[in-house]
Amino acid sequence: MTITLRAERRSNRCSVLTLVLVSCAALAGCTTAPFGYPSPQPGPSTRAPGGSARPPEAEPAPRTNASAALLEQGKEARAAGRYAEATATLERALRIDPNNPLLWIELAEIKAADGDRAQAREMARKALTLAAGDRAIESRARRLL
Amino acid sequence: MKKRILLYVLLAIPVAALAYGAWVWGRIAREFDDRHWDLPAEVFAAPLELYQGLRLTADDLTRELRRLGYGPVSGRIAPGLFRRAGNTIDVHRRAFTYDGRSFPAQVLHLEFAAGRISALEDGDGNPLPIAELEPMLIGHLFSSHGEDRIILGPDEVPKLLTESLKAVEDRRFDQHWGIDARAMLRAALANMRAGGITQGGSTLTMQLVRSYFLSNRQTYTRKIREALMALVLELRHSKDEIMLAYVNEIYLGQNGARAVHGFGLASRFYFGKPLAELDVHEIALLVAIVRGPSYYDPRRNPERARARRTLVLERMRDAGLIDDAAFAAAKERELGVVSVETRRATYYPAFMDLVRRQLRRDYDDKDLEQRGLEIYTTLEPLTQAIAEQALATELERLERAMPGRPELEGAVVVTNPHTAEVRALVGGKRTGFDGFNRALDARRQIGSLVKPAVHLAALESGRYSLASHIDDVPVTVELDGGRTWSPKNFDDTVNGQVTAVRALAESLNLATVNLGLEVGLDRVARTLERLGVEPRRPLYPSLLLGAIELTPYEVAEAYNTIANGGFRTPLKAVRAVVDGRGRTLRRYSLEIEQVASPASIHALNQGLVQVMRRGTGAPAQRLLPAGLMTAGKTGTSDGSRDSWFAGFSADHLVVAWIGNDRNASTGLTGGSGALQVWARIIGAVETSSYDLPPPAGVERVHIDYRTGLSTDPTCPDAIELAMPAFAVPPKAVACGSTNTRTGSRLREWIRNRLQ
Repeated sequence: MTITLRAERRSNRCSVLTLVLVSCAALAGCTTAPFGYPSPQPGPSTRAPGGSARPPEAEPAPRTNASAALLEQGKEARAAGRYAEATATLERALRIDPNNPLLWIELAEIKAADGDRAQAREMARKALTLAAGDRAIESRARRLL
Repeated sequence: MKKRILLYVLLAIPVAALAYGAWVWGRIAREFDDRHWDLPAEVFAAPLELYQGLRLTADDLTRELRRLGYGPVSGRIAPGLFRRAGNTIDVHRRAFTYDGRSFPAQVLHLEFAAGRISALEDGDGNPLPIAELEPMLIGHLFSSHGEDRIILGPDEVPKLLTESLKAVEDRRFDQHWGIDARAMLRAALANMRAGGITQGGSTLTMQLVRSYFLSNRQTYTRKIREALMALVLELRHSKDEIMLAYVNEIYLGQNGARAVHGFGLASRFYFGKPLAELDVHEIALLVAIVRGPSYYDPRRNPERARARRTLVLERMRDAGLIDDAAFAAAKERELGVVSVETRRATYYPAFMDLVRRQLRRDYDDKDLEQRGLEIYTTLEPLTQAIAEQALATELERLERAMPGRPELEGAVVVTNPHTAEVRALVGGKRTGFDGFNRALDARRQIGSLVKPAVHLAALESGRYSLASHIDDVPVTVELDGGRTWSPKNFDDTVNGQVTAVRALAESLNLATVNLGLEVGLDRVARTLERLGVEPRRPLYPSLLLGAIELTPYEVAEAYNTIANGGFRTPLKAVRAVVDGRGRTLRRYSLEIEQVASPASIHALNQGLVQVMRRGTGAPAQRLLPAGLMTAGKTGTSDGSRDSWFAGFSADHLVVAWIGNDRNASTGLTGGSGALQVWARIIGAVETSSYDLPPPAGVERVHIDYRTGLSTDPTCPDAIELAMPAFAVPPKAVACGSTNTRTGSRLREWIRNRLQ
């Protein structure tokens, strides 16, 4: 099967990247730009969507209380070599606190201790996507990757 | 000669009787023995985990406790009871085992504030980090016959029940051989006087035989067969075994299309709690119902049922089973039958179907009928009730709004995106009925639900961001054999150059097709494959608009990967299988696989958030709590046959489908049908905003929805997107302007040099 594309009216495709490159090249050639910026670009840490203030969604510490207790139980089980129990306990914690990278990295290490290299790697990747720059978690994850 | 014939006849009679007796013996051995002394697998819902901070109100917990058969009291609590005072609940949790672990009976003290559990303590005031309620028993797995039943062991049957049954139905049960000649004679005399059969005079054994093997027509020959079979049964089994079989077998009511057999299930059906917790008046009512489950139906004929209950209580008193005070007290009690809603919510044929299919991958049917297997599933009864209600409400509304429309049906799948556990599954609008399971078996065109895959393929190519411009202009694709394909936008508009995020949010067909062709059909197909969807090859460009058929369950699996940050995991309904001795036979552990870059998925999902804010999902807002951030996509198939919506919050992925069983046009779009179901569910479950920090490699920026330029967050068309630093567009000089700031352009230039 062959597909040929015949766009009837091809407006000039303007990928943002080329626009940026072209305009910047032009600027670099002829202007001396002032280095003071009128308004600071919102950094990635500003997270108010659409200009409206987000409701105070601050995850209450208690949610972590339950998952922290389970994390401790899981660690004990892992230390005793009861990997099935440790896994089940960590999964229970993840149902409560799924975006907590500590739980994912712990589960990754349980998988590694239990000889499941593939799952250890995947779970470490998951921990990394949630780590948000936490060095300790990043280095624990890298050891498994 | 004549004498000889007579001799033969005389000889033949005992031979025939013996042969018949042997046949009965064999039949009873075969069917009765096999059937009764087996314990089918018990299936449990997910237990409710309680902890400080859980979004749960005192009303929610009260409902859940009642569903588990806990009784409210104002005084002291014992296992199976709870006490509520405003926003404080004390519950004496029953002892139970779950997944091989034993939990003792325990007093839990809970306080609630601002929609959450604010304190959780044990009976002595020590804080508890976490506590589980016992999981609800949701059914049994029978492969050979489809009935549900709660099979009780000898220790689980209250003595008051068996003694009352004897007192009312069969006073000489302990003495007779299956037949009570005196009772039969008395009944026969009464019948002769009445000129027909009105009295049975049957023993419990005969009733059991009748329930098992025989039709319910009252004839004399049947009565004789019944007597013979009862005799055989008594010869083969002890009185205790027969009584236990009776308690587990006898017909006690009708739940829609399903017969309610046995006192275990009847106790759940009428009172919503286990048989062991029934009070005198409740046991008396069940015994009353035995005589005629339809005639004495306590829901339809409460007066009749009450009168017979009084009669039963009198017999119980006369037999010395209860004293005068207990009799007087029980007589005055309400019937105590739970409402239709409560009982409807305890039967989940669609979910059980899924459980059966998942287990069939690892077990054959015989294994599942092994003695005492326990199956721990992921079903959340509260979520299931919400999903069933949402679908029913919306279908009723649609049918009222447009009478004469082809009959609408629907299906819903709810998962936890992080664990891929199925929280709820609705297979059609008649939820208490074993029928066509649309969630698993209705395979339909998904329409625009495919579009996120097109955008994901584009994002992963590295040449696009959601701020990129694409062409929403007519396109004609030449197919094999000189045919052509010219798609149109839903409302026939042509929008020229649009931002990719707008194309996604407003579900523009032309822009999506142009984008998909530019990225390449093959790349889109490979992205779909990574999400678990296998497009048929050869590929046609109509794939870009969702010309692919999937079941709601398959859609949920694909969207679960998107909601889970690009980590794929097969949906699961079963957590563990435990044998009768508490040993875990198999645990279905969480397994994940990264199939898409976290940065691309994060960028895509910011676009799906805009679907809900500005696009085809916006009508859902009025049904959602203010400030709840969600992401999702509508889907409408060709000719408005199917209405789809797939979307998620942080903790819930919900896929809803509405259509017609014969695939007729429903006149619905994703936004007018399925979206409403979706929003009712997301609006009712306890969930939190989809709002994750961006993973490494992308940053959050404010972009003008129409121009695609960076803009101030205060601008009216500012939306938040995520993209790699090098793709961040220059900043506009003013809200909505297409001119860019010089400083901004320079900074972009420097940034790009430094990358």
